[in-house]
Amino acid sequence: MGKTNDVDFTLEYPYTRTTGPVIGPWLTGLRDGRILATRIGDRVICPPVEYDPTTGASTSPDDLVEVGPGGVVTAWTWVTEPTSKHPFATPFAFAQIRLDGATTTMVHAVDAGCIDAMETGMRVMARFRDERRGTVTDIWFAPGHEPVTPSTVDPGAEPVEITEHLIGVRIREPLFPFRARFAQGLLEGRILGQRSPADGKVHVPGRGYDALNRVPMGPEDDVEVADTGTVTSFTEITPIQYHGQTETEPYIRCSILLDGADTTVGGIDVRHIPVGSFRVGMRLAMVWRPESERDVSSIDNRWSALPAGAYERWEPTGEPDVDPELVEDYPF
Amino acid sequence: MGQPCAVIGIGQTLYRRRRRDVSLDGLVREAALRALEDAALTFADIEAVVIGKAPDALEGVIMPELSLCDALGAVGKPIHRVHTAGSVGASTAISAAVLVESGRYDTVLTVAYEKQSEGNATWALSGGRSGGQGAGGTFAPWIREYIRRSEAPEHIGWMVAAKDRLNAVKNPYAHLNLPDITIEEVRRSPMLWDPIHFLESCPSSDGAAAMVLAAPDRARRSPRPPAWVLGHAKRTELSTFPGRDTVRPRAGVECAAALYDSVGITDPRSQIDVAELYVPFSWYEPMWLEGHLIAGEGEGWKMTDSGATAIDGDFPVNCSGGVLSSNPIGASGMIRCLEAANQVRGTAGDYQVDGARVALGHAYGGAAQYFAMWIVGSDLDVL
Amino acid sequence: MAVSDIAIVATAQTPAYAHYNGPEVQLIMSCVNRLLDSTGLHRDGIDFTIAGSCDYLSGMPFAFVSNLDGMGAWPPVYESHVEMDGAWALFEAWSRLQVGDIDVAMVVGSGRSSPCNAREVFHLQADPYAMAPLGLDPDSLAGIQARALIDAALTTEEEIAAVVVRSRAAAIHNPMAQVSGTVSVRDLMAEPYDMAPLRAHDIAPPADGAAAVIIATGDRARALTARPVWIRGIDHRIESHHPGLRDLTDSVSTRLAAAGIGIGAGSAPAPPPDVAELHVTHAHEEIILRSALDLGDATVINPSGGPLCGNPVMATGLIRVVEVADRIADGRAGRGVAHASSGAALQQNLLCCLEGDRPCEGVP
Repeated sequence: MGKTNDVDFTLEYPYTRTTGPVIGPWLTGLRDGRILATRIGDRVICPPVEYDPTTGASTSPDDLVEVGPGGVVTAWTWVTEPTSKHPFATPFAFAQIRLDGATTTMVHAVDAGCIDAMETGMRVMARFRDERRGTVTDIWFAPGHEPVTPSTVDPGAEPVEITEHLIGVRIREPLFPFRARFAQGLLEGRILGQRSPADGKVHVPGRGYDALNRVPMGPEDDVEVADTGTVTSFTEITPIQYHGQTETEPYIRCSILLDGADTTVGGIDVRHIPVGSFRVGMRLAMVWRPESERDVSSIDNRWSALPAGAYERWEPTGEPDVDPELVEDYPF
Repeated sequence: MGQPCAVIGIGQTLYRRRRRDVSLDGLVREAALRALEDAALTFADIEAVVIGKAPDALEGVIMPELSLCDALGAVGKPIHRVHTAGSVGASTAISAAVLVESGRYDTVLTVAYEKQSEGNATWALSGGRSGGQGAGGTFAPWIREYIRRSEAPEHIGWMVAAKDRLNAVKNPYAHLNLPDITIEEVRRSPMLWDPIHFLESCPSSDGAAAMVLAAPDRARRSPRPPAWVLGHAKRTELSTFPGRDTVRPRAGVECAAALYDSVGITDPRSQIDVAELYVPFSWYEPMWLEGHLIAGEGEGWKMTDSGATAIDGDFPVNCSGGVLSSNPIGASGMIRCLEAANQVRGTAGDYQVDGARVALGHAYGGAAQYFAMWIVGSDLDVL
Repeated sequence: MAVSDIAIVATAQTPAYAHYNGPEVQLIMSCVNRLLDSTGLHRDGIDFTIAGSCDYLSGMPFAFVSNLDGMGAWPPVYESHVEMDGAWALFEAWSRLQVGDIDVAMVVGSGRSSPCNAREVFHLQADPYAMAPLGLDPDSLAGIQARALIDAALTTEEEIAAVVVRSRAAAIHNPMAQVSGTVSVRDLMAEPYDMAPLRAHDIAPPADGAAAVIIATGDRARALTARPVWIRGIDHRIESHHPGLRDLTDSVSTRLAAAGIGIGAGSAPAPPPDVAELHVTHAHEEIILRSALDLGDATVINPSGGPLCGNPVMATGLIRVVEVADRIADGRAGRGVAHASSGAALQQNLLCCLEGDRPCEGVP
């Protein structure tokens, strides 16, 4: 038999950013080994800005001037335990650095080795990665006075206009108790719902509460419902491709009102019934996967669909259709 | 009661699949600066800023008011951020209007945007998982149910799709430019989510929209005609529960009823001159005509079929081209609100409805469960 | 235009849970049900509902939609949502009641931080071009701010530790607190650095929780409670996102908000507030805020223990309002200030001045 497991999911997407008329040249400069800033009157602002921070008036790429690569630390923190998002895996400093020629500071990472090497007022020097692609992480800073000549990049390289950022947030937590009971039930061949103590309606799967009556529901409210039911709505999905999408061919998604339930289970995956013969009101039965092959690992705390790993398929029961008007209150 | 509020400046960006030429800062500034220019004001005249957009995960930037406040001239001022799913653009406009109506602020800038090309809306709607059904997959069964209940002929959806795209040809900001589109072409376009065809679906756009809202003294000094916010309403209901009517959501019916009641409209079809309804899939035109009490139940598709919702009809809908032609999600609702204002200001250009004095702006969101609507007029006492 | 009298008539909050093993909806529902019970209102007696939460913290785009389940939205309700701390939802609710056509609003703030690493989430608040790719999280910027404060001789590590000592001691009496206890500056100074010069105890541990309030206009407020807590002013301001364009040793936006509600420099003289609940998620911020608000010894700061002892992100700011309102409602204070903050290093700040019908009767 399979088992239930904790949630461990990363909400992740490779975002693409268009950089515009000022940030683009700045990132292009970093790639090419130069740090640019915006000159507005007697202020020189780095990182550069598309607008005067005082008046909101637009600035132009013509206002860009070169600053650094050396600078002075004006404030800093020592990061004892870097996160997976930080530029270094070992302890480092984030510092406000006033680059030579700039009148404001920028925040960047200083690879100083140990906290004792850091002090306010110290000189730092930009270091350029050998492989640069036009992002703020193309550089870092190190204590010292001597500039290090950046490696050259392809002089014919196009200006940076789009950057890519894989951004992810990892979610880890136990299944909520009612989700764990639902998952365990499926492994044992039972579909569990919860009967509201307020109005007797059976919610499948249970969500730990009855939203209509605003009452919590616990283990004492668990009830088993049938593995047969009536199609209340369906869609034929033509999969749109996106990061993480594994579907490529059209398929049916439907909602089913299980016998004994008052809410539909959505997201039911149908691949064995032609769309032309699929109907609202159709009676279907779940064909369980063998106990040893049941997989409920897709169950988490956020999505309430019946997991496809619990069943082989859904088959028509052979019963006559239910009049669609009788299920029109369940079109979700 | 609160002080009246007027739209005195409107700004829109070009809507495109990807605005390669601007950063996020640049995108919102393009709309904001145009709205300020329209109102003959500068950032210095603005007392408070309200921004809106759909989920942060569409661009991967959390609480973007923090990183955009400098670009929007908000430093030293109040700025807050609204998020009510697809209805957010209209909700944001209403939140900004409330700041003026409260009497606390006389000049408020509101901006809504989405830069969809930075991420992927279907990914976001799927919670980052494979096998998502997207917005179309969610709405398709409800559209099918509407067709069943109302016995509407299938060409209604194709008609709306073609009409809105032809309207968009007159709108210089619109994303889609399909001057040769025909009903037959819509019919023959691929079926994405039965019964929704590809050409019956909204595009994915980058764009921002902005308005300057002002109290009466400021509005009357404004160089261009104000659009007076005569009333607004919002209603929300739960996404799913036994007995929920997703085809004609009660929140939508009650939102419209509350709005009309608040401004003294008893016959919306005759008293409203033009409407901008949130129609991301073509069938939502007749569905909202009914669901917002403009047509009787089962009568919405007949309005569409008769040509009443065309730009020269008696109840023009989406003269700007609507969501079907430009869809920067978070801004789409605000665009409906500001296009309604354009009509009563007489600033709608080639898609101006002659003599429009009362206009409806509308948006919905979530599982057709969030509704936000406003009515604007050419004068405070036009109704 | 005259500002209408609007009062907090009921409050609710959950404990700050290190890990609440259940949906955010249940946290919200418990607060909402308590508010309705304590006022005797039915759900349809609330004219306007507004919530604050963060989708990313919940790990799912559109997560705020399911929070409706806890707030009650059937029959349909007049409702809105800000992707901000619940304190900003209070600002919008207060503005909405000022319009004058409706009288009762409910405000909710909620979040569950435990499933994720808050630093890895909230670095996405930073400028997406120059800062977010560095993973620059709010705790790192707080460390830089604390260093700037120490370098400017405006505080010391010992003084920062003393904030923690006092907060934890105060939290002993707060059943909602996540951490509390008697510690000494000397003990704390012996702990290792986290974001030096900040140590782990200087940084509020993110928690799971919710808070909610009901506010009502003048006569309705008096009808709903014998002890209305009047909102005498509410304002919020933001400052530049770029640390290099700010003076990190001051909170300019707090000063502006204070002036906006008539309690700051340049305002008419008034007695100091009895109590101030400040959104201090990094201990040194209390020193900056005391200065910006010109708070002296006459004002008790964070008698609940403050966010350092319980930080249900997205509700933390609204809980400051709840804590002040509760003290005024039960007579422990006559007048107080609640503060909420958003962004890194106190970038955005909200102030709410609260007052009861009677003066302070005890010790906050």
